Amino acid sequence: MLAQIDVDFRTQIINDYQGVSECKICDKPEYLARIREVAFNFFQKNGFPTQKNEEWKYTPVKPYINEPFDIDKDKSQTFDPSQANYFGQHLPGYKIVLINGKLSVEHSQIPDAALCTIQPVMDVLRKPEVQERLTKSRNYRNNPFLAMNTALFTRGVFIHIPKNTQVDKPIHLIHYEVGEGKQFNISKNIIISESGSEAEIIESYYHDYNDAVSFRNSSTEILVEPNAVLDHIKLQKSDHNLRMVEHTEVEQKEDSLYNNYTFTLPGMRFVRNNLNIELDGSNIESHMYGLYLTNEDQLVDNHTLVNHKEPNCESNQLYKGILTDKSRAVFNGKVYVHSIAQKTNAFQQNNNILFSDNATIYTKPQLEIFADDVKCSHGSTIGQLDDEALFYLRARGLSKTDAQSLLVNAFAFDVTEKLRDEEIKAMLNEEIDQVMSGVIS
Amino acid sequence: MRTENEIIEDFTTREYEYGFVTDIDMDILPPGLNEEVIQFISAKKNEPDWLLEWRMKGYQAFLKSKMPEWQNFKAPDVDFQDISYYAAPKNQPKYESLDDVDPELLRTYDRLGIPLEEQKLLAGVAVDAVFDSVSIATTYKEELAKLGIIFCSMSEAVQNHPDLVRKYLGTVVPHSDNIYASLNTAVFSDGSFVYIPEGVRCPMELSTYFRINAQNTGQFERTLIIAEKDSYVSYLEGCTAPQRDENQLHAAVVELIAMEGAEIKYSTVQNWFPGDEDGKGGIYNFVTKRGICKGDRSKISWTQVETGSSITWKYPSVILKGDDSVGEFYSVAVTKGKQIADTGTKINHIGKNTKSRIISKGISAGQSNNSYRGLVQIGKGAHKARNFTQCDSLLIGNKCGAHTFPYIESRNQTAMLEHEATTSKIGEDQIFYLNQRGIDPEKAVALIVNGYAKEVLSKLPMEFAVEAKKLLALTLEGSVG
Amino acid sequence: MLQIKNLHATIDGNQIINGLNLEVKPGEIHAIMGPNGSGKSSLASVLAGREEFEVTDGTVTYKGMDLLDMDPEIRAREGVFLAFQYPVEIPGVSNISFLKTALDEIREHRKQEPLSARDFLNRTREMQKLVQFDSALTNRSLNEGFSGGEKKRNEIFQMAMLDPSLAILDETDSGLDIDALRIVADGVNKLHTPEKAFIIITHYQRLLEYIVPDFVHVLSGGKIVRSGDKSLALELEEKGYDWLREEIATS
Repeated sequence: MLAQIDVDFRTQIINDYQGVSECKICDKPEYLARIREVAFNFFQKNGFPTQKNEEWKYTPVKPYINEPFDIDKDKSQTFDPSQANYFGQHLPGYKIVLINGKLSVEHSQIPDAALCTIQPVMDVLRKPEVQERLTKSRNYRNNPFLAMNTALFTRGVFIHIPKNTQVDKPIHLIHYEVGEGKQFNISKNIIISESGSEAEIIESYYHDYNDAVSFRNSSTEILVEPNAVLDHIKLQKSDHNLRMVEHTEVEQKEDSLYNNYTFTLPGMRFVRNNLNIELDGSNIESHMYGLYLTNEDQLVDNHTLVNHKEPNCESNQLYKGILTDKSRAVFNGKVYVHSIAQKTNAFQQNNNILFSDNATIYTKPQLEIFADDVKCSHGSTIGQLDDEALFYLRARGLSKTDAQSLLVNAFAFDVTEKLRDEEIKAMLNEEIDQVMSGVIS
Repeated sequence: MRTENEIIEDFTTREYEYGFVTDIDMDILPPGLNEEVIQFISAKKNEPDWLLEWRMKGYQAFLKSKMPEWQNFKAPDVDFQDISYYAAPKNQPKYESLDDVDPELLRTYDRLGIPLEEQKLLAGVAVDAVFDSVSIATTYKEELAKLGIIFCSMSEAVQNHPDLVRKYLGTVVPHSDNIYASLNTAVFSDGSFVYIPEGVRCPMELSTYFRINAQNTGQFERTLIIAEKDSYVSYLEGCTAPQRDENQLHAAVVELIAMEGAEIKYSTVQNWFPGDEDGKGGIYNFVTKRGICKGDRSKISWTQVETGSSITWKYPSVILKGDDSVGEFYSVAVTKGKQIADTGTKINHIGKNTKSRIISKGISAGQSNNSYRGLVQIGKGAHKARNFTQCDSLLIGNKCGAHTFPYIESRNQTAMLEHEATTSKIGEDQIFYLNQRGIDPEKAVALIVNGYAKEVLSKLPMEFAVEAKKLLALTLEGSVG
Repeated sequence: MLQIKNLHATIDGNQIINGLNLEVKPGEIHAIMGPNGSGKSSLASVLAGREEFEVTDGTVTYKGMDLLDMDPEIRAREGVFLAFQYPVEIPGVSNISFLKTALDEIREHRKQEPLSARDFLNRTREMQKLVQFDSALTNRSLNEGFSGGEKKRNEIFQMAMLDPSLAILDETDSGLDIDALRIVADGVNKLHTPEKAFIIITHYQRLLEYIVPDFVHVLSGGKIVRSGDKSLALELEEKGYDWLREEIATS
């Protein structure tokens, strides 16, 4: 099934797997070899997803992967991150530098060990909590990129926030994708928020491959223990040559709170976000907020899966999109409520505005409910700015463009409003205002 | 006082009322599907060559098709060789008047509540009844003929109006559309044909009753309705089947064509045998229904009340081709026992200013699964297209499932789409309130469910609405939650 | 201030204003009454510049300028204020920041300095008090979740803030209980100066007990069929509109 892609890339994948599995000097726990084998066999047999796969129906990946990529070949020794500007640079926080997925300790500001531990994931493979994360069974059929990721990853970061600790500043991961030639970078990250802890994780992106394209296949495994709070903010803005699939698996335990904010701004040609949350305990709260502003030929796809397994939990999804030019966006959300998950509150909302006749939106909000005492709803709208509201604002003296940008901003700020981090909120609002004023004028 | 769960138990285990078998001499083809069978059916019906050729094309497409894989339940393995593709009452298959009909058959219809003989009760409803594969009687034919309306069985239409049939048959649902539509093309037995000439408002509801009686038979009727410019017709369809242990296949195709300014209203009350409590037996209801609003300002409206069948797989669709055309879908689907209903609609907006409205109400009880699956597609040229979709689910008990799978695609910036869905249960406080006013729990549930489904039921023609309400109450009897 | 001459307007091809003439001078209060569908609200919409309405004939001169030639926001900046019959809810746009933007635009247009934040807040407080508008509402999203009465009061509050020369109140009294009606009327009376003119569109005479008009006009079939002083309103209240319709039919 890998026949769909470039021969060189295919050879790379197979060689890379052999390299990973035969490596003599690597620390290779037995469990890892096993899961890699399962993942690789699946991937080799099934390959990258096609549009026949229901989860990839609107997302043809071939145009983005069919290149003679090199996998994880580091040619970035001389790279100096202090000279590279990225979106979110001025935010305060512990700057954690990841070059092509690999943790660079020398460039990073690692917080005090009492606050949290940050290590390369390859150094901690024998930790039981890491093994537990990595051996969770995963749905490869829906997520072929994850199968590839598990089979081949040799990079990534492990973040561990100890019990009852409040990390004083955000932990800011900066993903530098840098080097020469066409690169395919694979990384796997693990984040564990122990019980009662509180932390904020921000992710930013930087890409420079001297005009060559690169593909980022990243997966993140997150555990949020009882009473822990984790804010997770993705600031997806980079250049047109970066393409990526980010797969995030979150497991939450009772009384925990996880907030995911995913902002995708004009830039990257292809972004696919998978966000799967398992609510494995009662009194859990999960919030997922997404905003995508797309332009040119961008394709942005957000897939969420929320799995309510226990009673008395609440999940809430709000995804909004503004599409311009010939961009495309996909929202596919699924809420699953098991029969014992009574008193579940699950909400899902996806609203879109199209600013061009060449833009296309596909939205598919789904509910699968097996418990009767629940409050579940979803809604989805596609439309344009409300004429009535525009007239009202103009009748109060606002110019047409001002009225339009006020409404567009209000539409988008509805998502940024949910941020608890005021600095990011201000930065994003300014960015949205700037992007949209370019569209409206 | 009985507990909530006991009442649920009762309600969901009620037996199927229409599960009797009619003892009639039948002309049945042995099970099996091959080219000879198709030739036999075609010859038996004295069909022209082009129709046989078309059947063969359908058969070829069927052989190449695979079972769909997108559903969220395990699709049954249907053994197509184990089905008989032709069954007809032995006494002459065509009747000149009601007096010629086998009295046993008429009694069957009486039990079904279709008083063929008691035209008084039918006041204003013209009925075409299809028993297993053959159309039994079409009432009011002459009266309609005065207006130029053709309402007859498909077999008759093939004989008497071959040009019309040839012009339109398969134009909305092509022979290769999906595996069951291909199968239907190959072996369709009978069905109804309706033609409304330009400017004519059909003065009465046209109605068909379908009944599967014989064992191991499939029913493959094909219905074609053509509404010429500025005409109007309302068409009703009802279905029942006897209680049997084996699953029986019903794979019908319905095609609707609305020309400029025409309106077609198509209503279904489907009550095929749903199988017993353990999920044994029951009808597989795999139906392809599609209409096209060909002309400007035309309108097609589907209304369905689905309570029967062990598996229902059905998506009455509308292609909105003409400018300012309107498509509607109103559905109530009730499942209990181990029933599976996967139903919804597909609306394809092509013309300018096209509008669509989708209201779907799913009610699940027992261990059943009830899904809404829909697609709303806005094409590039569909300026100012509007869609509103609402799909609500009601769960009774926590062994059942309610699912919503809406697909929404838009390629036009002036289009506006709204989709809403909610899931709820019958509130204890609602039941208590009604109890306190002297209404017993069962009636209370029926009342609440009817209220919940009201928006859809109100779209049914009067005669059907009453029946549908009763049906909902009967279906859910014992499901109080 | 405002001269309407032989105004004709259509919406979706339907004639709704049909040869209307009206002159409003500074300081005057005009009441426009008429049965449902007589064109009252359409007149307000045309004057405010709603795009669905097409003016097919006639002129509207405002302070010597061609009003019909202006975009809605220019009309607003020149001092035409429409209190909407159905104020829209705009989630996510806060009442206060919207007002600041609108006021800044209007002041800039009038070549006035923008108000400092402090002056703006002082003015807000003052006007809130004047029209008895709850300060909690000021900080909420524009009209979102407001009751009918709160929305109408918000319109009067905005009118106070934006200081127009010509205010058109489109059925501001509809849906208000007597207390809310009195508050709205009080606000209007307090804001009334010899420079400002009001056009009050209403179906009932009720509001006119609190805001005394200089002129009362009756609109029917898209034109003014009768004008008079406030006694005309009382006459209408007593006899209803049918009486008028008959009179027109026979005349």
